[in-house]
Amino acid sequence: MSAVELIDLPIPAARRAVPALDAVGIVHRYGGVTALDHVALTVDEGEFLTILGPSGSGKTTLLRVIGGFETPTEAETLAIAGVDVRGLPPNHREVATVFQHYALFPHMTVGQNVEYGLKVRGIMPAGRRKRAEEALGLVRLSDKYGRRIDQLSGGEKQRVAFARALVTEPRILLLDEPMGALDEKLRREMQVEVRALQRELKATFIQVTHSQEEALTMSDRVVVMNRGRIEQLGTPADIFGRPATRFVAAFMGMTNIIDGVAGIPGPGLVLLDAVGHTLHGVWSGNGQPVAGQPAFAAIHPHRVALNPPRDVGWTCLDGIARASAYKGAYTEVTVETGIGGVTASIAGPAPAEGSPVTVGWHGSECAIGPAEEARA
Amino acid sequence: MSAALAGSADFTHKAARREARIISIAIWLTLIVGFGLTALIYAPVTWLGILSVSGDPLSGLPGSFTLHWYASLLTDTRWLDPLIVSIEIAATVSVLCMISATLVGRALPRMKRGRGVIMTAFLLPLVVPGIVVGIDVFIYYRMFFGIKMGVWSIVLVHFVWAFPFALIGMLVVSSRFDARLLEAAADLGASPWRRFWDIERPLLSSGVATAGMFGFLLSLTELPRSIFVAARTQTLPLFTWAETMSRGSHVSLIYCLNSLIAVVSVALSVLSVWLLGRRLKS
Repeated sequence: MSAVELIDLPIPAARRAVPALDAVGIVHRYGGVTALDHVALTVDEGEFLTILGPSGSGKTTLLRVIGGFETPTEAETLAIAGVDVRGLPPNHREVATVFQHYALFPHMTVGQNVEYGLKVRGIMPAGRRKRAEEALGLVRLSDKYGRRIDQLSGGEKQRVAFARALVTEPRILLLDEPMGALDEKLRREMQVEVRALQRELKATFIQVTHSQEEALTMSDRVVVMNRGRIEQLGTPADIFGRPATRFVAAFMGMTNIIDGVAGIPGPGLVLLDAVGHTLHGVWSGNGQPVAGQPAFAAIHPHRVALNPPRDVGWTCLDGIARASAYKGAYTEVTVETGIGGVTASIAGPAPAEGSPVTVGWHGSECAIGPAEEARA
Repeated sequence: MSAALAGSADFTHKAARREARIISIAIWLTLIVGFGLTALIYAPVTWLGILSVSGDPLSGLPGSFTLHWYASLLTDTRWLDPLIVSIEIAATVSVLCMISATLVGRALPRMKRGRGVIMTAFLLPLVVPGIVVGIDVFIYYRMFFGIKMGVWSIVLVHFVWAFPFALIGMLVVSSRFDARLLEAAADLGASPWRRFWDIERPLLSSGVATAGMFGFLLSLTELPRSIFVAARTQTLPLFTWAETMSRGSHVSLIYCLNSLIAVVSVALSVLSVWLLGRRLKS
């Protein structure tokens, strides 16, 4: 009871002290499959967090556990705005979900859909209508109050789903691949719009997606999940440029991953010895590197330069140009070097196949991490 | 070059035309068979209706049209008591069908395993001949459960008969029901009861209505099962059957009575199909 009173205090500092979500030791098993393996996650009030991962990584299960649709096998802590929600069904949790397929009630109008969460809370029709119209205004659908659901386009349905979830002022808004069913152009527009909406409302959003673009453009922080575990938690820049594990590096599109052994850490830069070559990079794994430990170096193809300067901090590899592929905005060329094929995305024309080329990168662009992430 | 191209274009045209012709023949065949079958069903009913307004229905030929027989339904009201009994039984069967089809129809689509087996078991009574069911109930239930033959034994056999139809009517709607809507409602704060009342009930209502309609109509016109289990209770079909068999002077009334039953049945069927169709469209 005291916990509830505490979070109702209208002092911002007091609210900041209680995270919107506090989850520790979440384990969920379906039969013999472990969907969530000791997941711990804290989300601050007003934060936009994205859970990113391939299908089967456990990201959707985690969202369903937070929403109350799945009861985790084990949960040390699962608190929403300071309230222990273990054992609370979805209708007693102060969260609302925007479902991938919207799940709008087909027998109700737009207005009735949006008002539903208020109706079940016993709010009178006049008050409901006012708040529903405000919510529809937020998603720019003020004129669609009386429409039937089957009269809406896909994008409009999605906006209604947002309005319906937001109108109850949930402590956390859960977004289950909310852009999944939209076409490319609409998706990009909605990404910007949803992010702006979240900033305006200062609300806590937790989104699940398999799209790295969505995760990077919308979030304050990103959680990368793989096989039921959190691989990395960090800002979009961290996740994209400083992957802590080999999995994150590959998932974020670092097609150049080279195995080797960590060298002696220098000032800022770390060396990786790979079959007689010394590569410059920045340590991005957890903890400190130990000289001689097995490690990987990873770099995005568009950070690989053709004919790099042979200066301090630069890694230069001589090789022969192989196949190239035109991608529109850039050209992807593979160069056969002493450490194997290195892919570079370049703006200009590709070097002729078979011609000698030097590729390389500045150490600050290359991430070096442990070959095997020691997991807690 | 251009000649070759023109030739190939011509060839494509021919192939496309042939295909279009085959499709249109197939459509016509379907229509002819469909209408033919429909005519087989409706022609005798229409004929019955025509005879019921004819001067001498027993001759089997229409002519000297009159509403005399309908008028005599108002003076000779022996059919009224059986009709009331039939309506009472049909209403009871209808309610039983609505309740049981809703319970089973909601549960079946959500079952993960054994759905096919259970569905088959439930629908199997469709192909058990009515007379067999009647005799079975008469022999088995009377002996082992001591059921007295009468109104309730008729309700029982009618329910057994109508339930698979009611279930099919319900499943058409309930198997399309998106259970994720219930999650969404729970997520918005709705209690289990509210989820049922606000979401499931309105979305399944046309299935419930169809189940009830099937129960009512199938019971109202059921004869072969009733024969064995009715004892001295007389339903409308039993009455008209007995009258037809008696070769008595009131046979002509049967034409009118059956025409009226046919009209009411068709009207109710059309209504329930329309209800179902309207729901499926939205």
